[in-house]
Amino acid sequence: MTPWAPAQRAIRGDLDEVFRRDYRMVVGVAGRVLGSRDEAEDVAQDVFLSFGRTTVPTNEARGWLSVAAAHTALNLLRSGRRRASHESDATTSHDAVVGDVADDVITGQERTRVRAALARLPRKQAVALVLRHSGLSYNEVAAALNMSPGSVGTTVRRAESALRKELNRHASSH
Amino acid sequence: MRHPTEGVLRRLLDEPSGVAVSDRQHVHDCATCHATLDVVRRDADLVRAALPGASAADLDLERARRRLSAAPTPRSASRTPVHPRGKVSSFLRRPSVAALAFVVVLGGAGTAAANDWFTIFRTERVEAISISAADLVALPDLSAYGDLEITQQPHLREARDASTAEALSGLSVPTVGDLPRGVDGEPTYQVGDQVSATFTFSTDRAAEAAAKVGEALPPPPPGLDGSSVRMVAGPGVAQLWTSDAGAPALVVGRVVAPTASSTGLAFEDLRDYLLAVPGLPPDVAEQLRTFTADGSTLPLPVPADQVTATATEVGAAPATLLVTRNKAFAAVVWVDDGLVTLVAGSVDSEEVLSVARGLR
Repeated sequence: MTPWAPAQRAIRGDLDEVFRRDYRMVVGVAGRVLGSRDEAEDVAQDVFLSFGRTTVPTNEARGWLSVAAAHTALNLLRSGRRRASHESDATTSHDAVVGDVADDVITGQERTRVRAALARLPRKQAVALVLRHSGLSYNEVAAALNMSPGSVGTTVRRAESALRKELNRHASSH
Repeated sequence: MRHPTEGVLRRLLDEPSGVAVSDRQHVHDCATCHATLDVVRRDADLVRAALPGASAADLDLERARRRLSAAPTPRSASRTPVHPRGKVSSFLRRPSVAALAFVVVLGGAGTAAANDWFTIFRTERVEAISISAADLVALPDLSAYGDLEITQQPHLREARDASTAEALSGLSVPTVGDLPRGVDGEPTYQVGDQVSATFTFSTDRAAEAAAKVGEALPPPPPGLDGSSVRMVAGPGVAQLWTSDAGAPALVVGRVVAPTASSTGLAFEDLRDYLLAVPGLPPDVAEQLRTFTADGSTLPLPVPADQVTATATEVGAAPATLLVTRNKAFAAVVWVDDGLVTLVAGSVDSEEVLSVARGLR
């Protein structure tokens, strides 16, 4: 019996290998959407359970998992059914320090607002943005979303512009 | 020489080697592109700071692996779900909310100012519209055309057993015959009350939205501005078989079919006005034209790049079978005698149809 046998029927044989290789990446993608590592790990569990039942080729697993993580996290964000503590999670030691001058001017409330705006973006824009900021290359994002590498920059740019406008809009109303 | 697009400039920040030499050279020599590049860079930095990644440095991989491998069978999962309610209900909600939004757009695009509500939409069939992700991006944003107010919330809650669910919803709970392989145990039951929403059309906002895509709004019918469309659906009941992590193993849901009421215009006028609103992709418009003039078909948009939709039958009722591209999920939905029934889950298309056709 494999270690995965109790989980579900018809579990694919490469799950252990893919899990060890890509778990951190999946948590990273979901965490960028949710701002909470605990919630990101919950999402990762769901994503790998679903992946275990698919027949996605191993060499396409990374793209499938990253898109599934982004979608699942965005669905959770949009549903509003998040853990009560998620906002405080966003500023705990679980979060990476982003070495950027813009860091100094982004407040926790603004991050919450940007996440809400992220959930409202056209889904392809939101996923492309999250994957790119999670470190996937333009070619990887393009392959995962079935788009041309040349259009990834345009899609990411539109998403960033929309999120910046959301921040500016709120700033100008105060 | 033309200036490279902002998308090219965005890539230049991340992967200069992915940008053509001629474009790189242009940007190097062009003050305009320098200025645009600064704006693009500032936005990218701002978003990077606003969406920091959660550190994965000290992740306990073995603990996570044990958690996954210990995910129990559906039997035990149904007794001790981690948080099935949110996950499963969000899975359930997706098509109905999409349909709701679409129908409200459809209705909101044109109503007259008469005082009496009358029914323009009574669901008798479900028809999937395949929409690519690119089309979804291009579909008119509902909020750009007026205000959507949810006037009655569904108040989703768990019921102790089937008879309690029936008493709370007023609906008979379908009995499942043979469960698919790998799904067993007792289901949990959820009940939702009637939900209603009102969309109020604003000509000014619609014109503004049209202007953003460089077009003028077609002349609206008299009295359209400020008029409303009301949509009502439910109550509903669902039986859920879940995995430990909250993934839906199987869902059997039934809800009173949606109806929409407006104040004056005939369905054809509503539809034709929507078809004239800037932003509707041509292929979706073409499919919309095929809908019945009596408005009895519930259009159910599905993302064509993720889900395939095919026509089938359950009993004597025409049904729509939806299967995700990766074959991880399948669903079948149909309308019979004023009730929408949905069977969905992490099963294949044959299994989902077998459950649907075996309901008693």
